[in-house]
Amino acid sequence: MTTGPAEIFDLGYRGYEGQRTSRWRRRLAIWRDGVRISLGLGRGAGAKFASWLLIGLALVPMVVLVVISAFLSPAEEASEDFELPSYADYYDWALVPLTLFAAVVAPLLLCPDRRDGVLSLYAARPITATDYVGSRWAAFLTVSALAAWLPVAVLFTWNGLDAPSIGSWLGDNWDVVPRSLAAAAAVVVPLTTLSLLAASFAKRRAYAAVATLAVVLVGSAVGGIGEENFDGSVADVISLVGLPDVTLDTVRWIFSDELGDQQRAGWVSGLWLAGVTIVLAVWLLQRTRQLVRE
Amino acid sequence: MALLHARDLTKNYGSVRALDAVTFEIDEGITGLLGSNGAGKTTSLKIFMGLIQPDGGSAEVLGQDPRVSPEFRARIGYSPEHDCLPAGVSAAEFLAYMAEVSGLPRTPARLRASDMLRHVGLFEERYRPIGTYSTGMKQRVKLAQALVHDPLLAFLDEPTAGLDPIGRREMLELIRRVGRDFGISIVISTHLMGDVERACDSVVVLDAGRLLRTGAVSGLTEETETLEVDLVEGAPALLDALAARGLTARLDGSRLTLERVTGEDYDVIRDAIVASEALLYRLAPARLALADVFSAPAVDPDEKAGEPA
Repeated sequence: MTTGPAEIFDLGYRGYEGQRTSRWRRRLAIWRDGVRISLGLGRGAGAKFASWLLIGLALVPMVVLVVISAFLSPAEEASEDFELPSYADYYDWALVPLTLFAAVVAPLLLCPDRRDGVLSLYAARPITATDYVGSRWAAFLTVSALAAWLPVAVLFTWNGLDAPSIGSWLGDNWDVVPRSLAAAAAVVVPLTTLSLLAASFAKRRAYAAVATLAVVLVGSAVGGIGEENFDGSVADVISLVGLPDVTLDTVRWIFSDELGDQQRAGWVSGLWLAGVTIVLAVWLLQRTRQLVRE
Repeated sequence: MALLHARDLTKNYGSVRALDAVTFEIDEGITGLLGSNGAGKTTSLKIFMGLIQPDGGSAEVLGQDPRVSPEFRARIGYSPEHDCLPAGVSAAEFLAYMAEVSGLPRTPARLRASDMLRHVGLFEERYRPIGTYSTGMKQRVKLAQALVHDPLLAFLDEPTAGLDPIGRREMLELIRRVGRDFGISIVISTHLMGDVERACDSVVVLDAGRLLRTGAVSGLTEETETLEVDLVEGAPALLDALAARGLTARLDGSRLTLERVTGEDYDVIRDAIVASEALLYRLAPARLALADVFSAPAVDPDEKAGEPA
């Protein structure tokens, strides 16, 4: 067998002649990237640490409580002493890691793009500023909503398994599913919008995280002081600046639980929360458009 | 075929007029958008990409009004002057993502990202984080991301900024290759006349928001009636020999410059060189430099819609 001399074929540049995707697919690409950033996927251990720790802090206590309940349930006396939290009550605890998650992780989605100048490349792509920030927000909302909803889903599942008849229990409690989804949304939609808005004003992630926490904590403190020093409707109005309290009231209203000390109706908290979120979202959109034009 | 039209384009920032009724066209090939800082280059690019609205006039890119929809940007590439690359991501990952955002499906996006990094000479380094790259490598990644989705037209803002002379030459050669072999038209926004002279087929010269000149680079650097004679030795002797033959020359170091030289004068100069025994290095008509364009008067407003770039 004879072999000829080796030849190298350089195909040179070849243009792309295939199908180009729709705008929704481009938004999906940004959403997928946002989910990966939120969870630290494809990044080093350091990038994953904060995300998974805070998601774990929201989820693991519920898992532990359910496991304890599962061990105690055969012993009737012991199980009577141990009571699992209600769906709404669990957010009294979960709101803390979820707020930290929003404050710490949201800046990862916007600050590096702004600091590294990548925004100008998005601006030159066939998408709008609304596509960009909407996809980023949707990505962060997806991850946050899962972190907020999973603990309730675990509790719901255990309650069903622990019931004498799972069929009749589901028939009586099916409404918990839409309520839990609505509650998770009430918790994370304002938080993600606020934290992304803070991130849009800072190039450094730490500044954005501190700004988010400052708004939440200062608002909560002012609301608490207002409730202590004023009575009636004045106290109720002042307490509206406390985002965590308003959120928890909304969650209790969604689950038809007993509300806190104030006389404000649950739907008022819900309406106020929705209004604040819309204002924050419009502000975030305007801010992103301004950044892209720069 | 004109890829881009600017018609009476006007843009004000407060009381500052960034563009003053500028009209020009850009054809296929490599075009330089030349001007000093504040000439209106970046403002023009932003209008062409639909990022800002003109206060007057109109722009048309690839046959579309940039204000109407962002869809036309699927066939536009852009590389900004400033840093625009994330430090912690590999070039391959970043380019594939940018290709997806530009409208390529996922698998072709990945393939083209690797292919494009091969074309700009970064194939071996494609999985390294961009933060570890040198300035020259980053400039190549910036170029690659502007081309990864196979645009028809790419805007490169100061593509040689921050590069050393060798890196600059390599980048300009790469740009020439993109324009010549890839079939992608390029608009280079720059304040460096050397870059335009080396890389561009045509040029649009802006100055303080006004159109100064537009046309082929070869036309703007055409030969003149001035003859330059560079000598290794014997310049004074040649000066005397030329004077004896009735030709006036100006001596500057080892270069003699003769103005308004006619065809017959070349024979006289040849004889003078032989007679003076001067050692000739180069004899050629002087060419206009792009720098001379800036000292010439601006385009007459009535003629500004004339010759396309």
